[in-house]
Amino acid sequence: MSVLGGLLRAGASFCQSAGTLLQTARTISTGTCCRIRMHAIPELKKVDRWTEKRSMFGVYDNIGILGDFKAHPKDLILAPCWLKAFKGNELERLIRKKKMVGDRMMAVDRHNMEKRIRFLYRHFNRIGKHR
Amino acid sequence: MLRVSLLLRSGGAARRFSSSFSGASVLPPNLLLPSNLVDPARLKRPPPPADCPLPLLRKCDAAVPSHLSPVQTWVETLQRPDGEPLGLAQLHPDVFAVRPRLDILHDVERWQRNFKRISHASTKVRSEVRGGGKKPWNQKGSGRARHGSIRSPIWRGGGVSHGPRGPTSYYYMLPLKVRVQGLKVALSSKMAQDFLHIVDSLNIPTPDPQYLLDLVRHRHWGDSVLIVHVGDEFPENLLQATENLKTVNVIPAIGLNVHSMLKHEVVVLTLDTVKFLEDKLLWHDQRYTPLYPFKLPYADFP
Repeated sequence: MSVLGGLLRAGASFCQSAGTLLQTARTISTGTCCRIRMHAIPELKKVDRWTEKRSMFGVYDNIGILGDFKAHPKDLILAPCWLKAFKGNELERLIRKKKMVGDRMMAVDRHNMEKRIRFLYRHFNRIGKHR
Repeated sequence: MLRVSLLLRSGGAARRFSSSFSGASVLPPNLLLPSNLVDPARLKRPPPPADCPLPLLRKCDAAVPSHLSPVQTWVETLQRPDGEPLGLAQLHPDVFAVRPRLDILHDVERWQRNFKRISHASTKVRSEVRGGGKKPWNQKGSGRARHGSIRSPIWRGGGVSHGPRGPTSYYYMLPLKVRVQGLKVALSSKMAQDFLHIVDSLNIPTPDPQYLLDLVRHRHWGDSVLIVHVGDEFPENLLQATENLKTVNVIPAIGLNVHSMLKHEVVVLTLDTVKFLEDKLLWHDQRYTPLYPFKLPYADFP
Protein backbone atom coordinates (compact mmCIF):
# COMPACT_ATOMS: atom_id res chain seq x y z
CA MET A 1 0.00 0.00 0.00
CA SER A 2 1.23 3.50 -0.65
CA VAL A 3 0.55 4.38 3.01
CA LEU A 4 3.08 1.76 4.07
CA GLY A 5 5.54 3.18 1.57
CA GLY A 6 5.09 6.68 2.97
CA LEU A 7 5.65 5.42 6.50
CA LEU A 8 8.78 3.59 5.44
CA ARG A 9 10.15 6.73 3.84
CA ALA A 10 9.32 8.80 6.94
CA GLY A 11 10.94 6.18 9.12
CA ALA A 12 14.01 6.25 6.89
CA SER A 13 14.47 10.00 7.34
CA PHE A 14 14.46 9.61 11.13
CA CYS A 15 16.84 6.73 11.65
CA GLN A 16 20.02 7.61 9.85
CA SER A 17 22.08 4.69 11.08
CA ALA A 18 20.21 2.08 9.04
CA GLY A 19 19.39 4.72 6.39
CA THR A 20 21.15 3.05 3.47
CA LEU A 21 19.09 -0.09 3.85
CA LEU A 22 15.71 1.66 4.30
CA GLN A 23 16.21 4.31 1.59
CA THR A 24 16.25 1.63 -1.07
CA ALA A 25 12.85 0.24 0.08
CA ARG A 26 10.18 0.42 -2.61
CA THR A 27 6.49 1.11 -2.20
CA ILE A 28 4.54 -2.12 -2.03
CA SER A 29 1.19 -2.31 -3.72
CA THR A 30 -1.04 -5.30 -3.22
CA GLY A 31 -3.48 -4.14 -5.93
CA THR A 32 -6.21 -3.04 -3.54
CA CYS A 33 -5.65 0.72 -3.77
CA CYS A 34 -8.66 2.82 -4.71
CA ARG A 35 -9.08 3.28 -8.43
CA ILE A 36 -9.50 7.03 -8.45
CA ARG A 37 -6.20 8.57 -9.47
CA MET A 38 -5.66 12.29 -9.20
CA HIS A 39 -2.53 14.15 -10.15
CA ALA A 40 -3.48 17.27 -8.22
CA ILE A 41 -6.05 18.51 -5.74
CA PRO A 42 -9.05 19.55 -7.85
CA GLU A 43 -9.97 23.23 -7.79
CA LEU A 44 -12.99 24.37 -5.84
CA LYS A 45 -15.81 25.34 -8.15
CA LYS A 46 -16.44 29.08 -8.12
CA VAL A 47 -19.93 29.82 -6.84
CA ASP A 48 -21.29 33.38 -7.03
CA ARG A 49 -23.08 33.87 -3.69
CA TRP A 50 -24.72 37.13 -4.82
CA THR A 51 -26.75 36.26 -7.90
CA GLU A 52 -30.22 37.78 -8.24
CA LYS A 53 -31.87 34.56 -7.07
CA ARG A 54 -29.58 34.06 -4.07
CA SER A 55 -29.67 37.66 -2.86
CA MET A 56 -33.47 37.90 -3.17
CA PHE A 57 -34.20 34.47 -1.68
CA GLY A 58 -36.86 34.48 1.00
CA VAL A 59 -38.25 37.93 0.21
CA TYR A 60 -42.04 38.07 0.77
CA ASP A 61 -42.02 34.96 2.96
CA ASN A 62 -43.63 36.96 5.74
CA ILE A 63 -46.21 38.53 3.49
CA GLY A 64 -48.98 37.32 5.79
CA ILE A 65 -47.59 38.81 8.99
CA LEU A 66 -46.44 42.09 7.45
CA GLY A 67 -49.14 42.45 4.81
CA ASP A 68 -52.40 42.25 6.78
CA PHE A 69 -52.96 38.55 6.00
CA LYS A 70 -54.31 39.25 2.54
CA ALA A 71 -51.88 36.66 1.12
CA HIS A 72 -50.31 33.54 2.60
CA PRO A 73 -46.71 32.35 1.99
CA LYS A 74 -48.16 29.19 0.46
CA ASP A 75 -49.29 31.35 -2.48
CA LEU A 76 -45.64 31.94 -3.31
CA ILE A 77 -44.76 28.31 -3.90
CA LEU A 78 -43.86 27.38 -7.47
CA ALA A 79 -45.06 23.81 -7.81
CA PRO A 80 -47.36 21.50 -9.77
CA CYS A 81 -50.92 22.22 -8.74
CA TRP A 82 -51.34 19.01 -6.77
CA LEU A 83 -48.30 19.80 -4.62
CA LYS A 84 -48.98 23.42 -3.67
CA ALA A 85 -49.03 23.65 0.12
CA PHE A 86 -49.26 19.87 0.49
CA LYS A 87 -46.91 17.34 2.01
CA GLY A 88 -47.42 13.63 1.96
CA ASN A 89 -45.75 10.29 1.31
CA GLU A 90 -45.69 8.79 -2.19
CA LEU A 91 -49.10 7.13 -2.00
CA GLU A 92 -50.78 10.30 -0.72
CA ARG A 93 -49.13 12.37 -3.45
CA LEU A 94 -50.19 9.99 -6.20
CA ILE A 95 -53.79 9.81 -4.96
CA ARG A 96 -53.96 13.61 -4.88
CA LYS A 97 -52.46 13.81 -8.35
CA LYS A 98 -55.03 11.34 -9.67
CA LYS A 99 -57.85 13.33 -8.07
CA MET A 100 -56.72 16.70 -9.36
CA VAL A 101 -55.00 16.02 -12.67
CA GLY A 102 -55.83 12.42 -13.53
CA ASP A 103 -58.29 13.08 -16.32
CA ARG A 104 -55.79 15.37 -18.06
CA MET A 105 -52.94 12.90 -18.05
CA MET A 106 -51.58 10.90 -20.95
CA ALA A 107 -52.82 7.30 -21.14
CA VAL A 108 -49.47 5.62 -20.50
CA ASP A 109 -48.60 7.88 -17.57
CA ARG A 110 -52.02 7.39 -16.05
CA HIS A 111 -51.78 3.62 -16.41
CA ASN A 112 -48.36 3.58 -14.74
CA MET A 113 -49.63 5.82 -11.95
CA GLU A 114 -52.58 3.54 -11.28
CA LYS A 115 -50.33 0.51 -11.19
CA ARG A 116 -48.08 2.31 -8.70
CA ILE A 117 -51.04 3.31 -6.51
CA ARG A 118 -52.27 -0.27 -6.47
CA PHE A 119 -48.79 -1.57 -5.57
CA LEU A 120 -48.25 1.02 -2.80
CA TYR A 121 -51.71 0.44 -1.30
CA ARG A 122 -51.05 -3.27 -1.07
CA HIS A 123 -47.51 -2.68 0.23
CA PHE A 124 -48.53 -0.31 3.01
CA ASN A 125 -51.72 -2.01 4.05
CA ARG A 126 -50.94 -5.70 3.73
CA ILE A 127 -47.18 -6.15 4.09
CA GLY A 128 -44.92 -5.65 7.07
CA LYS A 129 -45.51 -4.81 10.69
CA HIS A 130 -47.50 -1.58 10.29
CA ARG A 131 -50.82 -2.20 8.55
CA MET B 1 9.35 15.26 37.74
CA LEU B 2 6.01 15.86 39.46
CA ARG B 3 7.41 19.01 41.22
CA VAL B 4 8.71 20.37 37.87
CA SER B 5 5.33 19.87 36.19
CA LEU B 6 3.54 21.54 39.17
CA LEU B 7 5.86 24.57 38.91
CA LEU B 8 5.24 24.82 35.17
CA ARG B 9 1.49 24.68 35.68
CA SER B 10 1.55 27.36 38.42
CA GLY B 11 3.67 29.63 36.16
CA GLY B 12 1.03 29.46 33.41
CA ALA B 13 -1.76 30.14 35.92
CA ALA B 14 0.10 33.18 37.30
CA ARG B 15 0.54 34.60 33.81
CA ARG B 16 -3.14 34.16 33.02
CA PHE B 17 -4.12 35.63 36.42
CA SER B 18 -2.00 38.76 35.84
CA SER B 19 -3.41 39.28 32.35
CA SER B 20 -6.94 39.39 33.74
CA PHE B 21 -5.92 42.30 36.02
CA SER B 22 -4.25 44.51 33.44
CA GLY B 23 -7.38 45.22 31.33
CA ALA B 24 -9.50 43.85 28.53
CA SER B 25 -7.22 44.57 25.54
CA VAL B 26 -4.03 42.66 26.39
CA LEU B 27 -3.07 40.61 23.35
CA PRO B 28 -1.01 37.43 23.62
CA PRO B 29 2.66 38.10 22.75
CA ASN B 30 2.84 35.53 19.97
CA LEU B 31 -0.12 36.92 17.93
CA LEU B 32 0.57 37.73 14.28
CA LEU B 33 -1.72 40.38 12.78
CA PRO B 34 -1.92 41.29 9.08
CA SER B 35 -0.84 44.84 8.32
CA ASN B 36 -4.11 45.92 6.67
CA LEU B 37 -6.33 44.79 9.55
CA VAL B 38 -9.03 47.25 10.55
CA ASP B 39 -9.35 47.57 14.32
CA PRO B 40 -12.92 46.61 15.27
CA ALA B 41 -12.73 48.48 18.58
CA ARG B 42 -12.25 51.71 16.64
CA LEU B 43 -15.17 51.02 14.32
CA LYS B 44 -17.85 50.39 16.91
CA ARG B 45 -19.70 53.59 17.47
CA PRO B 46 -20.83 54.08 21.07
CA PRO B 47 -24.58 54.30 21.76
CA PRO B 48 -25.88 57.87 22.18
CA PRO B 49 -25.07 59.29 25.64
CA ALA B 50 -27.81 60.61 27.91
CA ASP B 51 -26.80 64.28 27.48
CA CYS B 52 -26.61 64.25 23.68
CA PRO B 53 -27.49 67.66 22.12
CA LEU B 54 -29.09 66.13 18.98
CA PRO B 55 -32.91 66.21 18.82
CA LEU B 56 -35.06 63.16 19.53
CA LEU B 57 -36.70 62.52 16.16
CA ARG B 58 -38.92 59.61 17.07
CA LYS B 59 -40.57 58.30 20.20
CA CYS B 60 -42.23 54.91 20.60
CA ASP B 61 -45.91 54.99 19.62
CA ALA B 62 -46.93 51.88 21.53
CA ALA B 63 -46.75 51.80 25.31
CA VAL B 64 -43.42 50.58 26.61
CA PRO B 65 -43.69 48.25 29.64
CA SER B 66 -42.56 49.96 32.82
CA HIS B 67 -39.78 47.50 33.58
CA LEU B 68 -38.14 48.06 30.16
CA SER B 69 -36.69 51.19 28.64
CA PRO B 70 -36.71 52.08 24.95
CA VAL B 71 -33.58 51.43 22.87
CA GLN B 72 -31.86 54.65 21.77
CA THR B 73 -30.09 54.80 18.42
CA TRP B 74 -28.62 57.33 16.06
CA VAL B 75 -30.58 58.50 13.04
CA GLU B 76 -28.27 59.06 10.09
CA THR B 77 -28.66 60.43 6.61
CA LEU B 78 -27.68 59.22 3.15
CA GLN B 79 -27.59 62.73 1.61
CA ARG B 80 -24.13 63.58 2.86
CA PRO B 81 -21.23 61.15 2.46
CA ASP B 82 -19.86 61.87 5.94
CA GLY B 83 -21.17 59.95 8.93
CA GLU B 84 -22.56 62.70 11.18
CA PRO B 85 -25.86 61.62 12.73
CA LEU B 86 -28.94 63.80 12.43
CA GLY B 87 -30.64 62.91 15.68
CA LEU B 88 -31.80 60.18 17.99
CA ALA B 89 -34.63 57.70 17.82
CA GLN B 90 -36.29 55.52 20.42
CA LEU B 91 -37.17 51.97 19.46
CA HIS B 92 -39.55 49.63 21.26
CA PRO B 93 -37.67 47.08 23.40
CA ASP B 94 -40.17 44.28 22.71
CA VAL B 95 -39.17 44.37 19.04
CA PHE B 96 -35.55 45.52 19.05
CA ALA B 97 -34.26 44.27 22.42
CA VAL B 98 -35.66 40.76 22.61
CA ARG B 99 -33.63 37.83 23.93
CA PRO B 100 -31.34 36.41 21.21
CA ARG B 101 -33.09 33.09 20.66
CA LEU B 102 -30.79 31.30 18.23
CA ASP B 103 -33.00 28.24 18.15
CA ILE B 104 -35.93 30.29 16.84
CA LEU B 105 -33.68 31.88 14.22
CA HIS B 106 -32.52 28.41 13.16
CA ASP B 107 -36.10 27.13 12.94
CA VAL B 108 -37.33 30.08 10.91
CA GLU B 109 -34.34 29.95 8.57
CA ARG B 110 -34.83 26.21 8.02
CA TRP B 111 -38.54 26.79 7.39
CA GLN B 112 -37.83 29.50 4.83
CA ARG B 113 -35.47 27.21 2.97
CA ASN B 114 -37.68 24.14 2.98
CA PHE B 115 -41.33 25.09 2.80
CA LYS B 116 -41.02 26.23 -0.81
CA ARG B 117 -38.82 23.32 -1.83
CA ILE B 118 -40.07 21.02 -4.53
CA SER B 119 -37.65 18.28 -5.50
CA HIS B 120 -38.23 17.15 -9.08
CA ALA B 121 -35.84 14.20 -8.82
CA SER B 122 -37.60 11.18 -10.25
CA THR B 123 -36.62 7.68 -11.32
CA LYS B 124 -38.48 4.89 -13.07
CA VAL B 125 -39.43 1.69 -11.31
CA ARG B 126 -39.00 -1.64 -13.07
CA SER B 127 -42.61 -1.55 -14.23
CA GLU B 128 -42.24 1.90 -15.79
CA VAL B 129 -39.05 1.28 -17.73
CA ARG B 130 -39.75 0.59 -21.39
CA GLY B 131 -39.61 -3.10 -22.23
CA GLY B 132 -38.98 -6.00 -19.91
CA GLY B 133 -42.25 -7.88 -20.10
CA LYS B 134 -40.83 -11.09 -21.51
CA LYS B 135 -38.73 -13.63 -19.69
CA PRO B 136 -35.25 -13.31 -21.35
CA TRP B 137 -34.42 -17.04 -21.46
CA ASN B 138 -35.92 -20.25 -20.11
CA GLN B 139 -35.85 -20.87 -16.41
CA LYS B 140 -33.79 -24.04 -16.80
CA GLY B 141 -31.39 -25.31 -19.39
CA SER B 142 -29.45 -22.28 -20.62
CA GLY B 143 -26.80 -22.39 -17.91
CA ARG B 144 -27.24 -18.67 -17.11
CA ALA B 145 -28.70 -17.20 -13.93
CA ARG B 146 -32.48 -17.20 -13.77
CA HIS B 147 -34.20 -13.91 -14.58
CA GLY B 148 -37.75 -12.78 -15.16
CA SER B 149 -37.31 -9.49 -16.98
CA ILE B 150 -34.51 -7.41 -18.42
CA ARG B 151 -35.57 -4.33 -16.45
CA SER B 152 -35.26 -5.66 -12.93
CA PRO B 153 -33.12 -3.46 -10.62
CA ILE B 154 -30.12 -5.78 -10.73
CA TRP B 155 -29.83 -5.40 -14.50
CA ARG B 156 -27.97 -2.61 -16.25
CA GLY B 157 -30.62 -0.27 -17.68
CA GLY B 158 -33.19 -1.62 -15.27
CA GLY B 159 -35.45 0.30 -12.95
CA VAL B 160 -34.36 1.85 -9.65
CA SER B 161 -35.95 0.05 -6.71
CA HIS B 162 -35.84 2.73 -3.96
CA GLY B 163 -35.07 5.93 -5.79
CA PRO B 164 -36.67 9.38 -5.60
CA ARG B 165 -40.26 9.22 -6.80
CA GLY B 166 -41.69 12.12 -8.70
CA PRO B 167 -41.94 15.71 -7.59
CA THR B 168 -41.78 15.77 -3.79
CA SER B 169 -42.73 18.66 -1.58
CA TYR B 170 -41.27 19.58 1.80
CA TYR B 171 -43.98 22.01 2.83
CA TYR B 172 -44.76 22.76 6.45
CA MET B 173 -45.74 25.86 8.41
CA LEU B 174 -44.34 27.09 11.68
CA PRO B 175 -46.79 28.61 14.14
CA LEU B 176 -47.55 32.27 13.45
CA LYS B 177 -46.10 33.50 16.72
CA VAL B 178 -42.84 31.63 16.10
CA ARG B 179 -42.40 33.37 12.77
CA VAL B 180 -43.17 36.74 14.34
CA GLN B 181 -40.71 36.04 17.16
CA GLY B 182 -38.11 35.07 14.56
CA LEU B 183 -38.40 38.52 12.98
CA LYS B 184 -38.12 40.20 16.36
CA VAL B 185 -35.07 38.13 17.33
CA ALA B 186 -33.37 38.88 14.03
CA LEU B 187 -33.95 42.62 14.41
CA SER B 188 -32.75 42.55 18.02
CA SER B 189 -29.60 40.64 17.07
CA LYS B 190 -28.77 43.13 14.34
CA MET B 191 -29.34 45.97 16.79
CA ALA B 192 -27.23 44.35 19.50
CA GLN B 193 -24.33 43.70 17.11
CA ASP B 194 -24.46 47.29 15.82
CA PHE B 195 -25.44 46.23 12.30
CA LEU B 196 -28.79 48.04 12.27
CA HIS B 197 -28.86 51.64 11.06
CA ILE B 198 -31.81 54.04 11.04
CA VAL B 199 -31.97 56.60 8.26
CA ASP B 200 -34.43 59.50 7.95
CA SER B 201 -35.15 59.00 4.23
CA LEU B 202 -33.66 57.23 1.23
CA ASN B 203 -32.97 60.25 -1.01
CA ILE B 204 -29.51 60.23 -2.56
CA PRO B 205 -27.91 63.18 -4.39
CA THR B 206 -26.66 61.12 -7.37
CA PRO B 207 -27.77 57.92 -9.13
CA ASP B 208 -24.15 56.78 -9.10
CA PRO B 209 -23.58 53.33 -7.54
CA GLN B 210 -20.05 54.35 -6.56
CA TYR B 211 -21.50 56.97 -4.19
CA LEU B 212 -23.27 54.26 -2.20
CA LEU B 213 -20.20 52.04 -2.14
CA ASP B 214 -18.00 54.91 -0.93
CA LEU B 215 -20.58 55.81 1.71
CA VAL B 216 -20.69 52.23 2.99
CA ARG B 217 -16.89 51.98 2.99
CA HIS B 218 -16.42 55.34 4.71
CA ARG B 219 -18.86 54.55 7.51
CA HIS B 220 -17.45 51.02 7.91
CA TRP B 221 -20.90 49.49 7.69
CA GLY B 222 -19.89 46.13 6.23
CA ASP B 223 -19.86 44.05 3.05
CA SER B 224 -23.55 43.81 2.22
CA VAL B 225 -26.40 46.20 2.91
CA LEU B 226 -30.14 45.54 2.95
CA ILE B 227 -32.24 48.70 2.62
CA VAL B 228 -35.87 48.41 3.71
CA HIS B 229 -38.56 50.99 2.98
CA VAL B 230 -42.32 51.09 3.46
CA GLY B 231 -44.62 51.74 0.56
CA ASP B 232 -44.41 51.29 -3.19
CA GLU B 233 -42.47 54.36 -4.21
CA PHE B 234 -38.72 54.36 -3.99
CA PRO B 235 -36.53 57.31 -4.96
CA GLU B 236 -35.38 57.04 -8.58
CA ASN B 237 -31.76 57.72 -7.68
CA LEU B 238 -31.68 54.86 -5.22
CA LEU B 239 -33.27 52.42 -7.67
CA GLN B 240 -30.81 53.33 -10.40
CA ALA B 241 -27.84 53.16 -8.07
CA THR B 242 -28.68 49.73 -6.65
CA GLU B 243 -29.80 48.21 -9.94
CA ASN B 244 -26.40 46.84 -10.87
CA LEU B 245 -25.00 46.41 -7.38
CA LYS B 246 -24.98 42.86 -6.10
CA THR B 247 -24.40 43.33 -2.40
CA VAL B 248 -26.59 46.39 -1.83
CA ASN B 249 -30.26 45.46 -2.18
CA VAL B 250 -33.51 47.33 -1.65
CA ILE B 251 -36.69 45.57 -0.57
CA PRO B 252 -40.11 46.83 0.51
CA ALA B 253 -40.99 46.42 4.18
CA ILE B 254 -43.49 43.66 3.35
CA GLY B 255 -40.60 41.58 2.03
CA LEU B 256 -38.55 41.63 5.24
CA ASN B 257 -37.52 38.14 6.36
CA VAL B 258 -34.96 36.39 8.52
CA HIS B 259 -32.96 34.85 5.67
CA SER B 260 -32.34 38.20 3.97
CA MET B 261 -31.40 39.76 7.29
CA LEU B 262 -28.89 37.01 7.97
CA LYS B 263 -27.49 37.08 4.43
CA HIS B 264 -26.85 40.82 4.36
CA GLU B 265 -24.44 42.07 6.98
CA VAL B 266 -26.08 45.44 7.57
CA VAL B 267 -29.78 46.34 7.65
CA VAL B 268 -30.86 49.94 7.02
CA LEU B 269 -34.38 51.00 8.03
CA THR B 270 -36.17 54.31 7.60
CA LEU B 271 -38.21 55.89 10.37
CA ASP B 272 -41.46 54.96 8.57
CA THR B 273 -40.28 51.38 8.29
CA VAL B 274 -39.58 51.24 12.01
CA LYS B 275 -43.10 52.49 12.76
CA PHE B 276 -44.61 49.95 10.35
CA LEU B 277 -42.62 47.03 11.78
CA GLU B 278 -43.36 47.91 15.39
CA ASP B 279 -47.03 48.23 14.56
CA LYS B 280 -47.20 44.83 12.82
CA LEU B 281 -44.99 42.87 15.21
CA LEU B 282 -46.30 44.18 18.54
CA TRP B 283 -49.91 43.37 17.72
CA HIS B 284 -49.20 39.64 18.07
CA ASP B 285 -48.21 40.02 21.73
CA GLN B 286 -51.69 41.01 22.78
CA ARG B 287 -54.08 39.54 20.29
CA TYR B 288 -56.75 36.94 20.85
CA THR B 289 -56.35 33.52 19.31
CA PRO B 290 -58.07 33.46 15.92
CA LEU B 291 -61.48 31.80 15.69
CA TYR B 292 -61.24 31.79 11.90
CA PRO B 293 -58.31 32.72 9.60
CA PHE B 294 -57.22 36.31 9.74
CA LYS B 295 -57.83 36.86 6.04
CA LEU B 296 -61.59 36.78 6.69
CA PRO B 297 -62.94 40.05 8.04
CA TYR B 298 -62.77 40.84 11.74
CA ALA B 299 -64.56 43.73 13.39
CA ASP B 300 -61.44 45.30 14.92
CA PHE B 301 -58.66 44.18 12.54
CA PRO B 302 -56.92 45.73 10.61
